[in-house]
Amino acid sequence: MKLSSCGYLVKEGLKNIWNNRMMSLASIVVLVSCLIITGAAMLLSMNVTRLISGIGDDNQINVYLDYKMSDIDAIKLGSEISKIRNIDDCVFYSKEEGLKEFKDKLGEELYESMQGDGNPLGNVYKVRLADLSEYKETIKEIQAIDGVTSVSDRAAIAGTLTKLNRFVTLVGFWVVLILGIVTLFIISNTIKMTMYSRRFEISIMKSVGATNAFVRIPFIIEAMTIGLTAGILASAALISLYNPIRNTAAGMISLIGTSTIPLEEVWLQIILLFCGIGILIGALGGFISITKYLRKEGGEILGW
Amino acid sequence: MIHLENVSKVYPNGTEALKNISLDINNGEFVFIVGPSGAGKSTFLKLLIHEEKATFGKIKVNGYDMMKIRPRRIPYLRRTMGIVFQDFRLIDKMNVYDNIAFAMRAIGQPEKKIRKRVSQVIDMVGLNGKEKCRPNELSGGEQQRVSLARALVNKPEMIIADEPTGNIDPKMSFEIMRKLVEINEKGTTVIVVTHEHDLVKEFGGRIIIINGGEVERDDRINTKYHPSDDTIFSNEEAVV
Repeated sequence: MKLSSCGYLVKEGLKNIWNNRMMSLASIVVLVSCLIITGAAMLLSMNVTRLISGIGDDNQINVYLDYKMSDIDAIKLGSEISKIRNIDDCVFYSKEEGLKEFKDKLGEELYESMQGDGNPLGNVYKVRLADLSEYKETIKEIQAIDGVTSVSDRAAIAGTLTKLNRFVTLVGFWVVLILGIVTLFIISNTIKMTMYSRRFEISIMKSVGATNAFVRIPFIIEAMTIGLTAGILASAALISLYNPIRNTAAGMISLIGTSTIPLEEVWLQIILLFCGIGILIGALGGFISITKYLRKEGGEILGW
Repeated sequence: MIHLENVSKVYPNGTEALKNISLDINNGEFVFIVGPSGAGKSTFLKLLIHEEKATFGKIKVNGYDMMKIRPRRIPYLRRTMGIVFQDFRLIDKMNVYDNIAFAMRAIGQPEKKIRKRVSQVIDMVGLNGKEKCRPNELSGGEQQRVSLARALVNKPEMIIADEPTGNIDPKMSFEIMRKLVEINEKGTTVIVVTHEHDLVKEFGGRIIIINGGEVERDDRINTKYHPSDDTIFSNEEAVV
Protein backbone atom coordinates (compact mmCIF):
# COMPACT_ATOMS: atom_id res chain seq x y z
CA MET A 1 0.00 0.00 0.00
CA LYS A 2 1.17 3.48 -0.83
CA LEU A 3 2.04 5.92 1.92
CA SER A 4 -0.26 8.50 0.34
CA SER A 5 -3.25 6.25 1.07
CA CYS A 6 -2.56 5.94 4.81
CA GLY A 7 -3.97 9.36 5.72
CA TYR A 8 -7.07 8.72 3.64
CA LEU A 9 -7.69 5.30 5.20
CA VAL A 10 -7.22 6.56 8.78
CA LYS A 11 -9.57 9.48 8.08
CA GLU A 12 -12.19 7.10 6.68
CA GLY A 13 -11.89 4.85 9.75
CA LEU A 14 -12.37 7.75 12.15
CA LYS A 15 -15.25 9.09 10.07
CA ASN A 16 -16.96 5.69 10.43
CA ILE A 17 -16.89 6.02 14.22
CA TRP A 18 -18.64 9.37 14.11
CA ASN A 19 -21.20 8.26 11.52
CA ASN A 20 -22.01 5.23 13.65
CA ARG A 21 -21.58 6.93 17.02
CA MET A 22 -24.33 5.23 19.03
CA MET A 23 -23.08 1.73 18.31
CA SER A 24 -19.50 2.87 18.78
CA LEU A 25 -20.43 4.28 22.18
CA ALA A 26 -22.17 1.03 23.15
CA SER A 27 -19.08 -0.94 22.15
CA ILE A 28 -16.82 1.37 24.16
CA VAL A 29 -19.03 1.11 27.28
CA VAL A 30 -19.14 -2.70 27.15
CA LEU A 31 -15.42 -2.94 26.48
CA VAL A 32 -14.61 -0.52 29.32
CA SER A 33 -16.72 -2.61 31.74
CA CYS A 34 -15.03 -5.78 30.56
CA LEU A 35 -11.57 -4.29 30.96
CA ILE A 36 -12.29 -2.85 34.41
CA ILE A 37 -13.56 -6.21 35.67
CA THR A 38 -10.57 -7.97 34.08
CA GLY A 39 -8.18 -5.46 35.58
CA ALA A 40 -9.79 -5.57 39.02
CA ALA A 41 -9.60 -9.38 39.09
CA MET A 42 -6.02 -9.24 37.88
CA LEU A 43 -4.94 -6.65 40.46
CA LEU A 44 -6.70 -8.50 43.26
CA SER A 45 -4.97 -11.68 42.25
CA MET A 46 -1.58 -9.92 42.02
CA ASN A 47 -2.04 -8.40 45.47
CA VAL A 48 -3.14 -11.67 47.03
CA THR A 49 -0.14 -13.41 45.45
CA ARG A 50 2.14 -10.78 46.92
CA LEU A 51 0.54 -11.17 50.36
CA ILE A 52 0.96 -14.93 50.20
CA SER A 53 4.57 -14.67 49.17
CA GLY A 54 5.10 -12.01 51.86
CA ILE A 55 3.70 -14.36 54.47
CA GLY A 56 5.76 -17.25 53.14
CA ASP A 57 8.94 -15.22 53.20
CA ASP A 58 8.31 -13.77 56.64
CA ASN A 59 9.80 -16.11 59.25
CA GLN A 60 8.57 -14.07 62.21
CA ILE A 61 5.68 -15.34 64.35
CA ASN A 62 3.90 -13.94 67.39
CA VAL A 63 3.71 -16.06 70.54
CA TYR A 64 0.84 -14.90 72.77
CA LEU A 65 1.14 -15.53 76.53
CA ASP A 66 -1.54 -15.93 79.17
CA TYR A 67 -2.72 -12.42 80.12
CA LYS A 68 -2.70 -13.34 83.81
CA MET A 69 0.99 -14.22 83.69
CA SER A 70 3.26 -11.77 85.51
CA ASP A 71 6.03 -9.95 83.69
CA ILE A 72 8.71 -11.92 85.59
CA ASP A 73 7.18 -15.28 84.57
CA ALA A 74 6.84 -14.00 81.05
CA ILE A 75 10.54 -13.12 80.87
CA LYS A 76 11.43 -16.57 82.24
CA LEU A 77 9.25 -18.18 79.59
CA GLY A 78 11.26 -16.26 76.98
CA SER A 79 14.41 -18.19 77.87
CA GLU A 80 12.50 -21.46 77.37
CA ILE A 81 11.44 -20.35 73.90
CA SER A 82 15.00 -19.34 73.03
CA LYS A 83 16.21 -22.85 73.90
CA ILE A 84 14.18 -24.40 71.08
CA ARG A 85 16.54 -25.46 68.29
CA ASN A 86 14.98 -23.59 65.36
CA ILE A 87 14.62 -20.22 67.15
CA ASP A 88 16.90 -17.57 65.72
CA ASP A 89 15.68 -14.58 67.67
CA CYS A 90 13.13 -13.97 70.44
CA VAL A 91 12.08 -10.41 71.39
CA PHE A 92 9.78 -9.52 74.25
CA TYR A 93 6.85 -7.26 73.42
CA SER A 94 5.04 -6.20 76.58
CA LYS A 95 1.30 -5.89 76.99
CA GLU A 96 1.78 -2.17 77.74
CA GLU A 97 3.42 -1.66 74.36
CA GLY A 98 0.58 -3.61 72.79
CA LEU A 99 -2.04 -1.42 74.46
CA LYS A 100 -0.18 1.72 73.34
CA GLU A 101 -0.80 0.72 69.73
CA PHE A 102 -4.53 1.00 70.34
CA LYS A 103 -4.31 4.33 72.19
CA ASP A 104 -5.71 6.42 69.34
CA LYS A 105 -8.59 4.07 68.67
CA LEU A 106 -9.53 3.68 72.35
CA GLY A 107 -9.45 7.35 73.31
CA GLU A 108 -7.59 8.89 76.24
CA GLU A 109 -10.13 8.01 78.92
CA LEU A 110 -10.59 4.36 78.02
CA TYR A 111 -6.87 3.96 77.49
CA GLU A 112 -6.15 5.27 80.98
CA SER A 113 -8.73 2.96 82.52
CA MET A 114 -7.03 -0.05 80.92
CA GLN A 115 -3.65 0.66 82.47
CA GLY A 116 -2.19 -1.82 84.97
CA ASP A 117 -4.44 -4.73 85.94
CA GLY A 118 -7.19 -3.51 83.63
CA ASN A 119 -5.07 -4.34 80.55
CA PRO A 120 -6.88 -7.17 78.72
CA LEU A 121 -3.87 -7.96 76.50
CA GLY A 122 -1.22 -10.51 77.27
CA ASN A 123 2.53 -10.26 76.74
CA VAL A 124 3.86 -11.36 73.38
CA TYR A 125 7.16 -12.75 72.07
CA LYS A 126 8.10 -11.89 68.50
CA VAL A 127 10.01 -14.98 67.45
CA ARG A 128 12.10 -15.39 64.29
CA LEU A 129 12.65 -18.89 62.95
CA ALA A 130 15.98 -20.02 61.56
CA ASP A 131 14.52 -22.51 59.06
CA LEU A 132 11.01 -22.11 57.66
CA SER A 133 10.87 -25.70 56.46
CA GLU A 134 10.62 -26.76 60.12
CA TYR A 135 7.80 -24.27 60.71
CA LYS A 136 5.15 -26.77 61.86
CA GLU A 137 7.44 -28.70 64.23
CA THR A 138 8.73 -25.49 65.86
CA ILE A 139 5.17 -24.17 66.33
CA LYS A 140 4.23 -27.44 68.07
CA GLU A 141 7.20 -27.16 70.44
CA ILE A 142 6.31 -23.51 71.32
CA GLN A 143 2.66 -24.39 71.88
CA ALA A 144 3.73 -27.17 74.26
CA ILE A 145 5.30 -24.63 76.68
CA ASP A 146 3.08 -23.93 79.66
CA GLY A 147 1.72 -20.35 79.64
CA VAL A 148 1.61 -20.00 75.83
CA THR A 149 -2.01 -19.41 74.81
CA SER A 150 -1.61 -19.18 71.05
CA VAL A 151 0.80 -18.70 68.18
CA SER A 152 -0.01 -16.60 65.08
CA ASP A 153 -0.50 -19.29 62.50
CA ARG A 154 0.58 -17.71 59.19
CA ALA A 155 0.18 -21.01 57.39
CA ALA A 156 -3.60 -20.81 57.96
CA ILE A 157 -3.72 -17.22 56.69
CA ALA A 158 -1.63 -18.18 53.67
CA GLY A 159 -3.97 -21.10 53.01
CA THR A 160 -7.05 -18.86 53.17
CA LEU A 161 -5.45 -16.33 50.85
CA THR A 162 -4.46 -19.08 48.41
CA LYS A 163 -8.07 -20.27 48.35
CA LEU A 164 -9.21 -16.67 47.79
CA ASN A 165 -6.67 -16.30 44.99
CA ARG A 166 -7.89 -19.46 43.31
CA PHE A 167 -11.49 -18.26 43.59
CA VAL A 168 -10.67 -14.83 42.20
CA THR A 169 -8.72 -16.38 39.32
CA LEU A 170 -11.50 -18.83 38.49
CA VAL A 171 -14.36 -16.33 38.69
CA GLY A 172 -12.23 -13.71 36.94
CA PHE A 173 -11.45 -16.13 34.12
CA TRP A 174 -15.13 -16.91 33.40
CA VAL A 175 -16.25 -13.31 33.78
CA VAL A 176 -13.52 -12.14 31.43
CA LEU A 177 -14.25 -14.94 28.95
CA ILE A 178 -17.98 -14.18 28.85
CA LEU A 179 -17.51 -10.42 28.68
CA GLY A 180 -14.79 -10.88 26.08
CA ILE A 181 -17.18 -12.83 23.84
CA VAL A 182 -19.94 -10.24 24.41
CA THR A 183 -17.52 -7.43 23.54
CA LEU A 184 -16.29 -9.21 20.44
CA PHE A 185 -19.91 -9.71 19.37
CA ILE A 186 -20.80 -6.05 19.95
CA ILE A 187 -17.72 -4.68 18.19
CA SER A 188 -18.30 -7.07 15.31
CA ASN A 189 -21.94 -5.89 15.06
CA THR A 190 -20.85 -2.26 15.13
CA ILE A 191 -18.54 -2.92 12.22
CA LYS A 192 -21.28 -4.86 10.40
CA MET A 193 -23.59 -1.85 10.77
CA THR A 194 -20.93 0.48 9.43
CA MET A 195 -20.35 -1.87 6.54
CA TYR A 196 -24.06 -2.05 5.82
CA SER A 197 -24.36 1.73 5.80
CA ARG A 198 -21.37 1.88 3.46
CA ARG A 199 -22.35 -1.02 1.23
CA PHE A 200 -22.57 1.20 -1.87
CA GLU A 201 -19.08 2.47 -1.30
CA ILE A 202 -17.76 -1.05 -0.75
CA SER A 203 -19.44 -2.32 -3.92
CA ILE A 204 -18.04 0.62 -5.91
CA MET A 205 -14.60 0.18 -4.39
CA LYS A 206 -14.59 -3.47 -5.41
CA SER A 207 -15.86 -2.70 -8.90
CA VAL A 208 -13.07 -0.18 -9.56
CA GLY A 209 -10.42 -2.61 -8.34
CA ALA A 210 -9.78 -1.77 -4.70
CA THR A 211 -7.93 -4.61 -3.01
CA ASN A 212 -9.58 -6.35 -0.07
CA ALA A 213 -6.89 -4.96 2.22
CA PHE A 214 -7.73 -1.41 1.11
CA VAL A 215 -11.47 -1.94 1.73
CA ARG A 216 -10.76 -3.61 5.06
CA ILE A 217 -8.36 -1.11 6.61
CA PRO A 218 -10.82 1.73 7.51
CA PHE A 219 -13.06 -0.78 9.30
CA ILE A 220 -10.13 -2.28 11.20
CA ILE A 221 -9.00 1.24 12.13
CA GLU A 222 -12.51 2.00 13.34
CA ALA A 223 -12.60 -1.13 15.51
CA MET A 224 -9.08 -0.60 16.83
CA THR A 225 -9.86 3.01 17.73
CA ILE A 226 -12.93 1.85 19.66
CA GLY A 227 -10.71 -0.68 21.46
CA LEU A 228 -7.98 1.87 22.18
CA THR A 229 -10.49 4.44 23.49
CA ALA A 230 -12.00 1.81 25.76
CA GLY A 231 -8.50 0.81 26.92
CA ILE A 232 -7.60 4.40 27.83
CA LEU A 233 -10.90 5.01 29.66
CA ALA A 234 -10.71 1.73 31.54
CA SER A 235 -7.10 2.29 32.65
CA ALA A 236 -7.95 5.85 33.77
CA ALA A 237 -10.89 4.52 35.79
CA LEU A 238 -8.92 1.68 37.38
CA ILE A 239 -5.87 3.83 38.16
CA SER A 240 -8.04 6.47 39.86
CA LEU A 241 -9.92 3.81 41.86
CA TYR A 242 -6.88 1.76 42.84
CA ASN A 243 -5.49 3.94 45.63
CA PRO A 244 -8.81 4.65 47.43
CA ILE A 245 -9.61 0.91 47.43
CA ARG A 246 -6.07 0.08 48.55
CA ASN A 247 -6.27 2.58 51.41
CA THR A 248 -9.62 1.18 52.53
CA ALA A 249 -8.14 -2.30 52.58
CA ALA A 250 -4.94 -1.12 54.27
CA GLY A 251 -6.34 -1.52 57.84
CA MET A 252 -7.07 -5.18 57.27
CA ILE A 253 -3.83 -5.78 55.42
CA SER A 254 -1.68 -4.23 58.17
CA LEU A 255 -2.96 -6.87 60.60
CA ILE A 256 -1.02 -9.50 58.75
CA GLY A 257 2.02 -7.31 58.55
CA THR A 258 2.60 -7.19 54.81
CA SER A 259 1.85 -4.55 52.22
CA THR A 260 -0.04 -4.42 48.92
CA ILE A 261 1.36 -3.41 45.53
CA PRO A 262 1.78 0.37 45.23
CA LEU A 263 0.18 2.12 42.25
CA GLU A 264 3.56 3.30 40.96
CA GLU A 265 4.49 -0.34 40.33
CA VAL A 266 1.46 -1.18 38.21
CA TRP A 267 0.05 1.91 36.47
CA LEU A 268 2.13 1.53 33.33
CA GLN A 269 1.32 -2.17 33.11
CA ILE A 270 -2.39 -1.36 33.43
CA ILE A 271 -2.29 1.20 30.63
CA LEU A 272 -0.22 -0.96 28.28
CA LEU A 273 -2.26 -4.07 28.97
CA PHE A 274 -5.65 -2.38 28.63
CA CYS A 275 -4.75 -0.50 25.48
CA GLY A 276 -3.19 -3.66 24.04
CA ILE A 277 -6.23 -5.82 24.84
CA GLY A 278 -8.58 -3.09 23.57
CA ILE A 279 -6.76 -2.79 20.26
CA LEU A 280 -6.49 -6.56 19.89
CA ILE A 281 -10.18 -7.23 20.57
CA GLY A 282 -11.10 -4.35 18.25
CA ALA A 283 -8.89 -5.59 15.44
CA LEU A 284 -10.17 -9.15 15.85
CA GLY A 285 -13.85 -8.10 15.89
CA GLY A 286 -13.36 -5.86 12.87
CA PHE A 287 -11.37 -8.44 10.96
CA ILE A 288 -13.94 -11.21 11.51
CA SER A 289 -16.88 -9.11 10.24
CA ILE A 290 -15.19 -7.51 7.26
CA THR A 291 -13.56 -10.71 6.03
CA LYS A 292 -16.95 -12.42 5.93
CA TYR A 293 -18.44 -9.44 4.09
CA LEU A 294 -15.65 -9.16 1.55
CA ARG A 295 -16.41 -12.60 0.18
CA LYS A 296 -19.60 -11.13 -1.27
CA GLU A 297 -19.66 -9.71 -4.78
CA GLY A 298 -21.65 -7.04 -6.61
CA GLY A 299 -25.39 -7.29 -5.87
CA GLU A 300 -24.77 -9.49 -2.84
CA ILE A 301 -22.95 -6.59 -1.17
CA LEU A 302 -25.96 -4.37 -1.78
CA GLY A 303 -28.29 -7.06 -0.45
CA TRP A 304 -29.99 -7.70 -3.83
CA MET B 1 -9.08 -8.60 -25.45
CA ILE B 2 -12.13 -10.77 -24.61
CA HIS B 3 -12.15 -14.41 -25.60
CA LEU B 4 -14.91 -16.83 -24.66
CA GLU B 5 -14.72 -20.46 -25.72
CA ASN B 6 -17.58 -22.90 -25.07
CA VAL B 7 -18.54 -21.05 -21.91
CA SER B 8 -21.46 -22.26 -19.81
CA LYS B 9 -22.73 -21.00 -16.49
CA VAL B 10 -24.99 -23.10 -14.30
CA TYR B 11 -26.11 -21.55 -10.99
CA PRO B 12 -26.31 -23.69 -7.84
CA ASN B 13 -30.13 -23.78 -8.17
CA GLY B 14 -29.73 -25.52 -11.56
CA THR B 15 -30.49 -22.51 -13.78
CA GLU B 16 -28.42 -22.69 -16.94
CA ALA B 17 -27.81 -18.98 -17.59
CA LEU B 18 -25.30 -19.36 -20.42
CA LYS B 19 -24.97 -22.32 -22.78
CA ASN B 20 -21.79 -23.05 -24.65
CA ILE B 21 -21.03 -19.47 -25.70
CA SER B 22 -18.01 -18.69 -27.88
CA LEU B 23 -17.08 -15.18 -29.03
CA ASP B 24 -14.25 -12.68 -29.28
CA ILE B 25 -14.30 -8.92 -28.73
CA ASN B 26 -11.23 -7.10 -29.98
CA ASN B 27 -9.52 -3.98 -28.70
CA GLY B 28 -11.28 -0.77 -29.69
CA GLU B 29 -14.59 -2.38 -30.64
CA PHE B 30 -18.00 -0.92 -29.80
CA VAL B 31 -20.35 -3.77 -29.00
CA PHE B 32 -24.00 -3.88 -28.04
CA ILE B 33 -25.16 -6.89 -26.08
CA VAL B 34 -28.90 -7.19 -26.60
CA GLY B 35 -31.53 -9.57 -25.38
CA PRO B 36 -34.73 -9.87 -23.38
CA SER B 37 -34.81 -10.05 -19.57
CA GLY B 38 -33.43 -13.34 -18.26
CA ALA B 39 -31.57 -14.00 -21.52
CA GLY B 40 -28.21 -14.23 -19.78
CA LYS B 41 -26.85 -10.70 -20.45
CA SER B 42 -26.19 -9.95 -16.77
CA THR B 43 -24.49 -13.29 -16.26
CA PHE B 44 -22.32 -12.55 -19.29
CA LEU B 45 -21.24 -9.24 -17.69
CA LYS B 46 -20.68 -10.86 -14.32
CA LEU B 47 -18.32 -13.35 -15.94
CA LEU B 48 -16.36 -10.49 -17.53
CA ILE B 49 -15.87 -8.67 -14.23
CA HIS B 50 -15.43 -11.92 -12.31
CA GLU B 51 -18.42 -11.47 -10.05
CA GLU B 52 -19.28 -15.00 -11.17
CA LYS B 53 -17.08 -17.81 -12.40
CA ALA B 54 -18.00 -19.87 -15.47
CA THR B 55 -18.95 -23.49 -14.84
CA PHE B 56 -17.30 -24.71 -18.06
CA GLY B 57 -15.21 -23.27 -20.87
CA LYS B 58 -12.37 -20.80 -21.26
CA ILE B 59 -12.54 -17.02 -20.69
CA LYS B 60 -9.76 -14.50 -21.15
CA VAL B 61 -10.30 -10.81 -20.38
CA ASN B 62 -7.59 -8.19 -20.88
CA GLY B 63 -4.93 -10.86 -20.59
CA TYR B 64 -6.33 -12.51 -17.45
CA ASP B 65 -7.37 -16.16 -17.57
CA MET B 66 -10.68 -15.97 -15.71
CA MET B 67 -10.74 -19.68 -14.91
CA LYS B 68 -7.36 -19.62 -13.21
CA ILE B 69 -7.15 -16.08 -11.81
CA ARG B 70 -6.15 -15.91 -8.14
CA PRO B 71 -8.54 -13.98 -5.85
CA ARG B 72 -5.83 -11.43 -5.04
CA ARG B 73 -5.41 -10.62 -8.77
CA ILE B 74 -9.13 -9.88 -9.31
CA PRO B 75 -8.83 -6.19 -8.23
CA TYR B 76 -6.07 -5.71 -10.82
CA LEU B 77 -8.27 -7.26 -13.52
CA ARG B 78 -11.04 -4.82 -12.56
CA ARG B 79 -8.69 -1.87 -12.85
CA THR B 80 -8.52 -2.59 -16.58
CA MET B 81 -12.25 -1.88 -16.93
CA GLY B 82 -14.72 0.84 -16.01
CA ILE B 83 -18.29 -0.09 -15.16
CA VAL B 84 -21.36 2.08 -15.69
CA PHE B 85 -24.46 0.93 -13.86
CA GLN B 86 -28.11 1.44 -14.77
CA ASP B 87 -28.84 2.92 -11.31
CA PHE B 88 -25.67 5.11 -11.41
CA ARG B 89 -24.53 3.92 -7.95
CA LEU B 90 -23.40 7.35 -6.84
CA ILE B 91 -22.73 8.09 -3.19
CA ASP B 92 -25.36 10.60 -2.02
CA LYS B 93 -23.24 12.25 0.65
CA MET B 94 -20.40 12.98 -1.78
CA ASN B 95 -20.37 15.72 -4.38
CA VAL B 96 -19.61 15.12 -8.07
CA TYR B 97 -15.88 15.66 -7.62
CA ASP B 98 -15.61 13.24 -4.69
CA ASN B 99 -17.78 10.60 -6.37
CA ILE B 100 -15.36 10.56 -9.29
CA ALA B 101 -12.23 10.90 -7.14
CA PHE B 102 -13.46 8.01 -5.00
CA ALA B 103 -12.58 5.53 -7.77
CA MET B 104 -8.98 6.77 -7.75
CA ARG B 105 -8.73 6.95 -3.96
CA ALA B 106 -9.98 3.36 -3.77
CA ILE B 107 -6.91 2.18 -5.64
CA GLY B 108 -4.54 4.33 -3.62
CA GLN B 109 -3.74 7.11 -6.10
CA PRO B 110 -2.09 10.27 -4.70
CA GLU B 111 -4.25 13.40 -4.27
CA LYS B 112 -2.20 15.45 -6.73
CA LYS B 113 -2.80 12.95 -9.51
CA ILE B 114 -6.46 12.66 -8.51
CA ARG B 115 -7.02 16.44 -8.79
CA LYS B 116 -5.53 16.56 -12.26
CA ARG B 117 -7.30 13.50 -13.65
CA VAL B 118 -10.72 14.25 -12.14
CA SER B 119 -10.85 17.69 -13.70
CA GLN B 120 -9.92 16.10 -17.04
CA VAL B 121 -12.80 13.60 -16.95
CA ILE B 122 -15.26 16.21 -15.67
CA ASP B 123 -14.37 18.21 -18.73
CA MET B 124 -14.62 15.11 -20.91
CA VAL B 125 -18.20 14.31 -19.84
CA GLY B 126 -19.26 17.96 -19.86
CA LEU B 127 -19.91 18.48 -16.16
CA ASN B 128 -17.86 21.63 -15.69
CA GLY B 129 -19.33 23.83 -12.98
CA LYS B 130 -21.16 20.91 -11.36
CA GLU B 131 -18.21 19.66 -9.29
CA LYS B 132 -19.72 20.66 -5.98
CA CYS B 133 -23.25 19.43 -6.69
CA ARG B 134 -24.61 16.43 -4.83
CA PRO B 135 -26.16 13.63 -6.93
CA ASN B 136 -29.70 14.62 -5.84
CA GLU B 137 -29.13 18.06 -7.36
CA LEU B 138 -28.47 16.57 -10.80
CA SER B 139 -30.74 15.27 -13.56
CA GLY B 140 -30.70 11.55 -14.43
CA GLY B 141 -28.55 12.20 -17.47
CA GLU B 142 -26.06 14.22 -15.44
CA GLN B 143 -25.91 11.51 -12.80
CA GLN B 144 -25.15 8.95 -15.46
CA ARG B 145 -22.40 11.21 -16.79
CA VAL B 146 -20.88 11.28 -13.29
CA SER B 147 -21.05 7.49 -13.28
CA LEU B 148 -19.38 7.47 -16.71
CA ALA B 149 -16.67 9.87 -15.49
CA ARG B 150 -16.03 7.60 -12.53
CA ALA B 151 -15.72 4.62 -14.89
CA LEU B 152 -13.23 6.56 -17.03
CA VAL B 153 -11.12 8.16 -14.35
CA ASN B 154 -8.72 5.24 -13.95
CA LYS B 155 -8.08 5.12 -17.72
CA PRO B 156 -9.51 1.63 -18.27
CA GLU B 157 -8.91 -0.39 -21.42
CA MET B 158 -12.59 -1.22 -21.58
CA ILE B 159 -15.90 0.34 -20.52
CA ILE B 160 -18.76 -1.96 -19.61
CA ALA B 161 -22.11 -0.18 -19.45
CA ASP B 162 -24.97 -2.19 -18.00
CA GLU B 163 -28.26 -0.66 -19.27
CA PRO B 164 -26.74 2.83 -19.06
CA THR B 165 -29.89 4.46 -20.41
CA GLY B 166 -32.37 2.40 -18.42
CA ASN B 167 -33.17 5.12 -15.89
CA ILE B 168 -33.02 8.23 -18.03
CA ASP B 169 -35.23 9.87 -20.63
CA PRO B 170 -34.67 9.28 -24.38
CA LYS B 171 -32.94 12.63 -24.98
CA MET B 172 -30.47 12.01 -22.17
CA SER B 173 -30.04 8.43 -23.39
CA PHE B 174 -28.85 9.79 -26.68
CA GLU B 175 -26.37 12.09 -24.90
CA ILE B 176 -24.91 9.22 -22.91
CA MET B 177 -24.59 7.04 -25.99
CA ARG B 178 -22.88 9.92 -27.77
CA LYS B 179 -20.35 10.11 -24.95
CA LEU B 180 -19.73 6.37 -25.13
CA VAL B 181 -19.14 6.58 -28.86
CA GLU B 182 -16.70 9.46 -28.32
CA ILE B 183 -14.84 7.42 -25.72
CA ASN B 184 -14.68 4.51 -28.16
CA GLU B 185 -13.36 6.82 -30.86
CA LYS B 186 -10.37 7.48 -28.60
CA GLY B 187 -9.54 3.77 -28.55
CA THR B 188 -11.34 2.39 -25.49
CA THR B 189 -13.36 -0.77 -26.02
CA VAL B 190 -17.02 -0.19 -25.13
CA ILE B 191 -19.52 -2.91 -24.32
CA VAL B 192 -23.10 -1.74 -23.82
CA VAL B 193 -25.76 -4.05 -22.50
CA THR B 194 -29.22 -2.81 -23.40
CA HIS B 195 -32.68 -3.88 -24.40
CA GLU B 196 -33.44 -0.58 -26.14
CA HIS B 197 -33.53 -1.61 -29.77
CA ASP B 198 -34.05 1.95 -31.00
CA LEU B 199 -30.70 3.05 -29.58
CA VAL B 200 -28.99 0.03 -31.10
CA LYS B 201 -30.47 0.75 -34.50
CA GLU B 202 -29.51 4.41 -34.19
CA PHE B 203 -25.89 3.89 -33.19
CA GLY B 204 -25.22 0.59 -34.94
CA GLY B 205 -21.92 -1.27 -34.74
CA ARG B 206 -21.51 -4.83 -33.62
CA ILE B 207 -24.63 -6.35 -32.09
CA ILE B 208 -24.57 -9.58 -30.12
CA ILE B 209 -28.03 -10.89 -29.37
CA ILE B 210 -28.22 -13.27 -26.42
CA ASN B 211 -31.38 -15.28 -25.95
CA GLY B 212 -32.01 -18.25 -23.69
CA GLY B 213 -28.38 -18.27 -22.64
CA GLU B 214 -27.11 -18.62 -26.21
CA VAL B 215 -25.70 -16.23 -28.79
CA GLU B 216 -28.59 -15.92 -31.21
CA ARG B 217 -26.92 -13.44 -33.58
CA ASP B 218 -23.56 -11.72 -33.82
CA ASP B 219 -23.86 -9.09 -36.57
CA ARG B 220 -22.53 -5.77 -37.61
CA ILE B 221 -25.01 -3.11 -38.73
CA ASN B 222 -24.32 0.20 -40.38
CA THR B 223 -23.73 3.12 -38.07
CA LYS B 224 -26.14 5.95 -38.53
CA TYR B 225 -24.47 8.13 -35.94
CA HIS B 226 -20.99 9.51 -35.81
CA PRO B 227 -19.87 12.30 -33.45
CA SER B 228 -18.78 14.37 -36.43
CA ASP B 229 -22.10 13.86 -38.15
CA ASP B 230 -23.84 17.19 -37.74
CA THR B 231 -27.02 16.03 -39.43
CA ILE B 232 -27.95 14.06 -36.29
CA PHE B 233 -27.74 17.15 -34.09
CA SER B 234 -29.51 19.37 -36.58
CA ASN B 235 -32.50 17.07 -36.37
CA GLU B 236 -32.38 15.88 -32.76
CA GLU B 237 -36.16 15.54 -32.61
CA ALA B 238 -35.97 12.78 -35.17
CA VAL B 239 -33.50 10.94 -32.99
CA VAL B 240 -35.53 11.30 -29.84
